Amino acid sequence: MMLHYDVFVNSLADLPEDKELQLALRDLTPGKYKYCYKNVKALVSPDPKKYEQGLQVRFGRGQIHPAPYSIKVLEQVERIPERWR
Amino acid sequence: MAFKDNREYIKALDAAGELVTINQEVDWDLEAGAIVRKVCEEQGPSPLMNRIKDYPGHRYLGAPISTYKKLAICLGLDPNSSIPQIATEYLKRTNRPPVKPVLVDKKQAPCKENILLGKDADLFMLPAPMVHDGDGGRYLATWHFVVTKDPDNGDVNWGMYRQMCYDSYTMTGPLLPFSDGGKVFHGKYKPRGLPMPFATVIGPDPLSAIAACAPSPIPESDYTGMLMGKPVELVKCETVDLEVPAHAEIVIEGEILPDVSLEEAPFGEYTGYRTSPRDLRTCYRVKAITFRNDPITTISNMGVPTDEGQLLRSFSLCLEMDALLRSQGIPITGAFMWPESTHHLVVIGVKPIYSNIAAQIAQLVFGSKLGPWFHMVVVVDDQTDIYNYNEVIHALTTKCHPQKGIHIYEGAGTPLYPFLSYEERLKMAGPKVVFDCTFPIDWDPLSEVPRLVSFKTVYPKEIQDKVLANWEKYGFKAR
Ligand SMILES: Cc1cc2nc3c(=O)[nH]c(=O)nc-3n(C[C@H](O)[C@H](O)[C@H](O)COP(=O)(O)O)c2cc1C
Ligand SMILES: [Mn+2]
Repeated sequence: MMLHYDVFVNSLADLPEDKELQLALRDLTPGKYKYCYKNVKALVSPDPKKYEQGLQVRFGRGQIHPAPYSIKVLEQVERIPERWR
Repeated sequence: MAFKDNREYIKALDAAGELVTINQEVDWDLEAGAIVRKVCEEQGPSPLMNRIKDYPGHRYLGAPISTYKKLAICLGLDPNSSIPQIATEYLKRTNRPPVKPVLVDKKQAPCKENILLGKDADLFMLPAPMVHDGDGGRYLATWHFVVTKDPDNGDVNWGMYRQMCYDSYTMTGPLLPFSDGGKVFHGKYKPRGLPMPFATVIGPDPLSAIAACAPSPIPESDYTGMLMGKPVELVKCETVDLEVPAHAEIVIEGEILPDVSLEEAPFGEYTGYRTSPRDLRTCYRVKAITFRNDPITTISNMGVPTDEGQLLRSFSLCLEMDALLRSQGIPITGAFMWPESTHHLVVIGVKPIYSNIAAQIAQLVFGSKLGPWFHMVVVVDDQTDIYNYNEVIHALTTKCHPQKGIHIYEGAGTPLYPFLSYEERLKMAGPKVVFDCTFPIDWDPLSEVPRLVSFKTVYPKEIQDKVLANWEKYGFKAR
């Protein structure tokens, strides 16, 4: 399965299924912009087939969770106020 | 003799057999980091990587000062100089009057060969390496410094504070509140709601980098001049009222936002672990990037010993402690940290002329500006060679009384200590310990003080001389 993004969590409880979450994702698209952060609202699922894009989960010290999740990005969120952009 | 930039330093490394030039393509995503890591663990030559995947025209220099040999080369000394020889030269230079920097014109500043402004100043145009698998992001700034200015008195600081690329125009990092840059940001700009201008200098000349990670109270640009024996050349930034070394490879200019913090870490750290919690940290917004042609990004790969952070911080923390203790009239013989202790343990030698001198030493160094960065002090007497591992471990295990000789203190810490609980890391707890390895001075020297049993201490001089004179005749090899 293609992994489009990854996300760091303290525990899997931070990723409840099908609940709108605000997440700081990293873009895993190969090339120059790999690992660029994107803040989004999204739905996630531990079922890797539920949504179209693959989500790799990592824990607090960088360890990979062996089972990939799937994700649906709903919208992008800007966390830096307009005046600083 | 001082190198004005890393390019001259690279030539000197090469001449001393301390450089490996890699012309095949290297991937910025873990491969470059893995090369540097292995070099650190083997204490090997520095890799100069001439071709980086996705980034034609860019180059890397890895593990720039990860051994005492390289440190000696930076100072223009014989690469095989001993640690005390290097320390003596370093002290000689850093005890002379400060050498103020000079300002040069932009035309004489190679760091202005390329200038990207506004939306063109995109961090992902630079080959920030993914240093270790599992890091929170690509760390562009691992061997570098951040220039900032006090808004009230204009004091300029250079501090080595790591920075991770967050998005095209944003970096994040722990600007710890007890660092000089952190005190000014958290104490002045932030409460006033003002952004703090910064300039990150990547690939500075080796002595500027050493100055930026040394805990000296002297302004780092002057300190660099003292180490160089001549003024460091600075040039004005494009978008902020700051100055940077003219011969640096890459400069990133922008502002630290007073009211925004974003995720940073985890990251492989100098302790040899990924420890400090991923947290919301300081947010650096980028306005301009300037760089030399064919720029060389420096990579330090922190992890298990020995990397340049461990080596140089051990070196300079001790020298500052040495100066502090002498300034207080404590009769020390010196202070030394093994880089392998990740600058957590300092050995301090002293003439134990009164009781509890070890506690006094510990309280001074733990209570100083240096305190947050280490937590173990081993005090040995003036008969013990502080640089000799065998002698120090022998003193520790034979002279330190487990109930009377070990004292525990509360102090300031960092989120990086691997032995702290998660909550303690967030609070930057700093438990400390001193091991007093001196015999109590009130023991009767004739009946109570144990006698060290060594060749040098228990045989009459004439027997020693006879044995030494006959050593090869007995059939032993001369050493
Ligand atoms: C490679 C490296 C990375 C460092 N990263 C940080 C950091 O992210 N934050 C910090 O506060 N100190 C960091 N330090 C320690 C500071 O560089 C050190 O405390 C230095 O003395 C800071 O300068 P200052 O005394 O002007 O604050 C780092 C040191 C090294 C060698
Ligand atoms: Mn400083």
